[in-house]
Amino acid sequence: MEKILLKNIDNPDSAGIEEYIRAGGYKTLEMAVTQMTPRDIIDEVKNSGLRGRGGAGFPTGMKWQIASMDPKFPKYLICNADEGEPGTFKDRPILEKNPHLLIEGMVISAYALQSTRGYIYLRGEYPLAAGILSRAISAAYGKGYLGNDILSRRFRFDLYLHRGAGAYICGEETALIESLEGKRGQPRVKPPFPVNAGVWNKPTIINNVETFANIPYITEVGGKTYSKIGSKDSPGPKLFSVSGKVVKPGVYELPMGITLREIIYGHCGGLMEGRTLKGVIPGGVSTPILTPEKIDCQMDFVHLSKVGSLFGSGAVIVFDDTVCLVKVYERIMQFFEHESCGKCVPCREGTGWMRNILGRIGSGGGTDEDLDTLEDVAKNVAGKTFCPLGDGAANVTLAFLKQYRDEIEYHVKNGKCPVDGLPHKDNRESHGGQSAPVEQT
Amino acid sequence: MTREEMESKDNETLKDKITGMKRTYPSIQSVLMPALYAVEQSYGWLSQDAIQEVSNHTGVPAAEIKGVATFYSMYRHEPMGRHLVQLCTNVSCLIAGVEDLVKFLDKKYGLLPGGTTKDGRLSLCLMECIGACGNPPAMLVDGDAYDNLTCEAIEQILEKYE
Amino acid sequence: MITLTINDREVSVYGTATILEAAASVGIKIPTLCYFKGLDSFGGCRMCLVEIERVPRLQTACTVRVTEGMVVRTESEAITAARRAMLEFLLINHPLDCPVCDKAGECDLQDLVAIYGAHEGRFLEGKRTHPENFNDPFIVRNMDRCILCTRCTRMCDGPQGAYAIAVTGRGSHSFIEPFSGGRYNCEYCGNCLTVCPVGAIMSRLHRHSYRPWYVEREVETVCGFCGVGCTMVLQMRGGSIIRTMPYVGEGAVTGSYGSAGSAAPAQGLNKGLLCVRGRFGYDYLENNERLETPLIRKKGILEPVTWDEALSYVASGLKDVKAVHGAKSIGAIASGRCTNEDNYMLQKLMRFVIGTNNIDSSARFYYSPAQSYLERIFGHGVTANLIPGIANADGVLVAGGDPTAINPILGLQVRALWRKRGKIIVVGTPSGLRRFVNYEIKPHPYLEEAVLGAIVTRLAAKKGFRGENDNIEKYIKATAMPGEQLLKKANVSKEIVDQAAEDLAMMKSAVVIIGPELMERPGASKNLFLVSAIAYLTDARIFLLSERPNYQGVIDMGCAPDILPGGRPIEADVLQHKIKDADVADHKIPEHKIKDTAWTKAPVRKGLNLFAMIEAALEGNLKALYVMGENPVFNFPDRRKIENALSKVDFLIVHDIFMTETARRADVVLPAAAWTEKDGTFTNLERRLQRVRSGIPTMPGRGSVSYHRGGGADKRPEWKTLAGIGRLMGMKENYLTSSDVWEEVSRVSTLHAGLSYDRIAGGNTIWPYGSEPFRGVEGEFEVEAPGMPPAMDDGKIYLLQERQLYHSGSITRKSKALMSISCEAHVLLNAGFAERCGLKDGDKVIVTTETGSLTLPVKTDREIPENVAYVPNNFDNVSPLGIIGYTVDGYLGSISLSGNVVTITKADGPSDAAAGEGYGDKKE
Repeated sequence: MEKILLKNIDNPDSAGIEEYIRAGGYKTLEMAVTQMTPRDIIDEVKNSGLRGRGGAGFPTGMKWQIASMDPKFPKYLICNADEGEPGTFKDRPILEKNPHLLIEGMVISAYALQSTRGYIYLRGEYPLAAGILSRAISAAYGKGYLGNDILSRRFRFDLYLHRGAGAYICGEETALIESLEGKRGQPRVKPPFPVNAGVWNKPTIINNVETFANIPYITEVGGKTYSKIGSKDSPGPKLFSVSGKVVKPGVYELPMGITLREIIYGHCGGLMEGRTLKGVIPGGVSTPILTPEKIDCQMDFVHLSKVGSLFGSGAVIVFDDTVCLVKVYERIMQFFEHESCGKCVPCREGTGWMRNILGRIGSGGGTDEDLDTLEDVAKNVAGKTFCPLGDGAANVTLAFLKQYRDEIEYHVKNGKCPVDGLPHKDNRESHGGQSAPVEQT
Repeated sequence: MTREEMESKDNETLKDKITGMKRTYPSIQSVLMPALYAVEQSYGWLSQDAIQEVSNHTGVPAAEIKGVATFYSMYRHEPMGRHLVQLCTNVSCLIAGVEDLVKFLDKKYGLLPGGTTKDGRLSLCLMECIGACGNPPAMLVDGDAYDNLTCEAIEQILEKYE
Repeated sequence: MITLTINDREVSVYGTATILEAAASVGIKIPTLCYFKGLDSFGGCRMCLVEIERVPRLQTACTVRVTEGMVVRTESEAITAARRAMLEFLLINHPLDCPVCDKAGECDLQDLVAIYGAHEGRFLEGKRTHPENFNDPFIVRNMDRCILCTRCTRMCDGPQGAYAIAVTGRGSHSFIEPFSGGRYNCEYCGNCLTVCPVGAIMSRLHRHSYRPWYVEREVETVCGFCGVGCTMVLQMRGGSIIRTMPYVGEGAVTGSYGSAGSAAPAQGLNKGLLCVRGRFGYDYLENNERLETPLIRKKGILEPVTWDEALSYVASGLKDVKAVHGAKSIGAIASGRCTNEDNYMLQKLMRFVIGTNNIDSSARFYYSPAQSYLERIFGHGVTANLIPGIANADGVLVAGGDPTAINPILGLQVRALWRKRGKIIVVGTPSGLRRFVNYEIKPHPYLEEAVLGAIVTRLAAKKGFRGENDNIEKYIKATAMPGEQLLKKANVSKEIVDQAAEDLAMMKSAVVIIGPELMERPGASKNLFLVSAIAYLTDARIFLLSERPNYQGVIDMGCAPDILPGGRPIEADVLQHKIKDADVADHKIPEHKIKDTAWTKAPVRKGLNLFAMIEAALEGNLKALYVMGENPVFNFPDRRKIENALSKVDFLIVHDIFMTETARRADVVLPAAAWTEKDGTFTNLERRLQRVRSGIPTMPGRGSVSYHRGGGADKRPEWKTLAGIGRLMGMKENYLTSSDVWEEVSRVSTLHAGLSYDRIAGGNTIWPYGSEPFRGVEGEFEVEAPGMPPAMDDGKIYLLQERQLYHSGSITRKSKALMSISCEAHVLLNAGFAERCGLKDGDKVIVTTETGSLTLPVKTDREIPENVAYVPNNFDNVSPLGIIGYTVDGYLGSISLSGNVVTITKADGPSDAAAGEGYGDKKE
């Protein structure tokens, strides 16, 4: 397949504007603002069938249409570059090696949505990307692709970089808005939705980095042509970030709908010599884990939910038989506890409770009731939280309990790990990471 | 320059920086996150005084700023060593053996998670995913990214940070 | 209207309602923890989860708005299970320390667990712990118990607007903290205590001594600290207050406050809010320095005597003075802290028993002259506007003081308007509004007139005249545009004046708030006229800040030398009765009867006002003075003069709750009852009549004179003592209860005609109380030297009184609680000025006037003007008013501070505040 999103990234100068322009960059923007109306572009995006690449898979064209119908101005365009889902590093190549593709995508989007101001909300953990993006934005201003009179047309768009500071929840769009407003990144009550009342109470269009990166191509070739790539109801190219126990981990641009088996064995070189597949997380740690027999599932929004998981961010994490999945599961719960924003009770208290039980099981103190309690806690969290973070924690728990119950029970019964024959380190007391300080009295 | 003059010059620049940031956002409160990064740089960490200064320049109440600052895990809420090692411990790095690296840092430098070496050179922070899962384990040292880590590699890398 | 179905029941509500509100409107209760009426919805506790047909997930009733045809179920097995689950989650970290938790018995969490269960815990790990924080004088924070509902922070950042606390940290490691981490250093309104559903934020004042079931009696009354008149509840045990709470509505008095699911609106004009004084200041009442028995000076020493002896002594003393020197040699000072009944009785004693109109009060400083002037411009009742209405205006002009310190709850309304994006313009530097203003216009305090004049002329040019009031328009037209030179001297730019005029011109529903500072200056009438002109041009509602709970009542009860109860001018009666001036001069006039009062008569000539009484005393013409609930020696300017005047009064009676500086000079001291110890009424600054109720149970045997409670303070209300004196002097009426007194007021005063306690208790007794107010005085007023630029002095520092949020006159120095947060006087200086003088916070300086000096620590503020030194007049030994003089404004009759130019020098010794040196009272 021709690379659309990762085009030219093997070129060492791919991040520079000269190289980007040399390879045909910003041509689509020029074509769009000279030959297309905003309405045309929105129609093409609608026709493309593009679904948001951040994880929820909301149809981008529909989001744009709602936003464009809102009479309030200004409209804000936000790029969600808070790629915090563990296992996900798919946006990084775009941010670090192809930043002008993102900028071009955003400028075309701004033109389509009549937005005059945009922000890239970049996660704090990407300092390298921050420097590259800043330079790319300056370069784009220098060439007149950003600023007051873009391409000498009466079209204006300012783009700013806003750095996050370590909060997974800010990937949730309303939490991101709060954070951009300089507040604690806790999700807001919806409705109103951001498209109508988002940042600073103005209509706000938030899309993922990869979503914006698709816009120049859609604009260039038209929605119809684009929609022929990949699977029917979730078309387009997709970046998969593959990690874990495969021979060649990395970011792969592949069509939507490809099977997990093709990704693991066809593109990533399969498992290490002599290893057997134990499980795969298909879309980042908040998507339920899949057992090996399900790897023929097509990777898209529809098919993955049919097998009890979610498409998520396209972050495939592969586990072989050297990995203790109880340890993985506990680490995931630790992550959820650490990242729970604390706004709602079930997520704040439930994630910590589950993590505590798993920590105890792993370090050899599990009891017979623990599995039932875990299941109960997960069910009490699921569907009752303020935002999807808690649901993620609950669904992950239910998947592990259902599919790897034996392994968990082994830890409970024997007080040690089947992989190395030792109990896990008890991590319950401290996270050891940077978190809020304990109050000084 | 006397110490006072230098300090007042530092304050000037911080004030100027914040004034510059105000142009980036339509509301003053939005300045907080970048301003906290800036003030952290000049104070080394977000002390009460540092937060108070952001409050003075932005007009946002100090208690609220503290609430915002402590929500985000990457701000430095206590004094740190000269160099900050941020080691990823999430799933992909975990299964690539990051636990051995944590043990190594303790053994070699006496560096515990959340702690600082006795000589004040290094501080260690265990991180959630830093998006380097393709070549785990990975870390950031003062904003420089390193991956494919082994104990030997870490030792070599850290030599550069005096 | 939207119609939906809740639990098979059809409910119709307006479309903006949430499911929770819709359910509450038909009495369906949905449990909540993080919801609190009046605060923004949060949706965090997940207790109010309900089922909505065709919606897959349970939804929070507090956040989801109703839609047409919505079908909601608030109870089902799944919902109960979900609620139980949420409580179980909360209990994994919430300590089960209910036996030692002061919240036990009124804890929302406890109550809900009792209903929904989670009785057995399955959580095996240790609970999150966090040390209890005692670093604050008032507020104990126990963050183990915190359920992170954020009601406190939403209160603090919302209605209160103090922004003192915030959630810090993230997830399960979040806590509520003030910025310091320990001490709050906030406005100490304590409204976070009202809203905390558990025992996480508690008052330290009754720690481990309060349990809901200790409360023997809950009494709804009105706060006695300032002129707002917040409704509050006294929780009593054994005759003592164990806690005060804001009154939050019907039924709440007997239940727990802010209880689960209470969607009932907070009632009362304060909407469930209190300020620091109302919530924590009540302990001065229990101070052991309270006067216990009457005292008579015998051989130079005040000796305890019985009530009978004291009353006879006073009666015969007054009779003697009247016999020798005539009634005109007797005067009285009434009190804005006392009830209408007390004040009515004092004026009755003076006017109708003794026969003098020499009665006045400290309302004369600014409140009554300002009101009278405003009424002459605009007509009666011009200041009778409702406080909650301020937030519904579209702009406010504040001039002459900090409403958030003088009348805090009124100040909160200004903040509320700011949040609703109303324009807030202030002239002056009210620190409590600093975050809530579009801009501050900060003139030199003696050149406010120039700035106001500039605004008025520009505003008049923009708005034009509507011909409603020829008199004021005439004067506005005569107002000269102050030159740029003058504005420059006033330190105000032309641009900001233009902006203010522009903004004021845009206001469609404006409010003008007038504070005391505007009238403390030379040229007070000019300032007041100019603000009135702004109010006229913008058609604004006017609010006059009042430092005492009942200044309005003092006026309305006729405690002024020229008006009778109900506001009827004495001299109008003179005219009505066609009494010739000559007769008046000869004092031959038969005293005329006051309508319907039994056999009592009043003199027809105006009496002496407060200042005239002081002058008369100095001249030796005032032989007896009855001072009720006032402390002239400390609270009035020019202490030397006041002391001198009092020393020339032969017979000084002081009726107070403490041995004040004035009482120490008295011949007779009578103990009084405080506002929580007696029944009666207050009239607040919006002229609303409200019932004051005694927290002490009525003694058996109605009308028993014995109010003695074993050894404690004597809590006999002032009206009763006054009536006792009156009867000894020949008054025929006998009053058994305060309602008997009020009943007479309602007959005597046309303004209060037909008003009974029952009607007042019903609330909303708003001016003019359904009666015809007395008319015929408006329209005549004068403006001092129209068009003339104000006189001014360059480069001098003026000593002014700082009005503190934490204090109220001299009574709050007896409150241990309030003293614990603000215990020391200071001199507040402009930070830049202080820097240039080589002064920093905490340095000791000597502030010297012509007549005295004070040694004080420095406090600096960047925002106040350079040429002022603010000192609070609330602390023992430190009376800035005492070392400055005063003059009386010729047009208003209000007080103007004079002789307040000060020099400030660095001191080496200890400050007065700490050591009691300098001009002041030595502790006895």
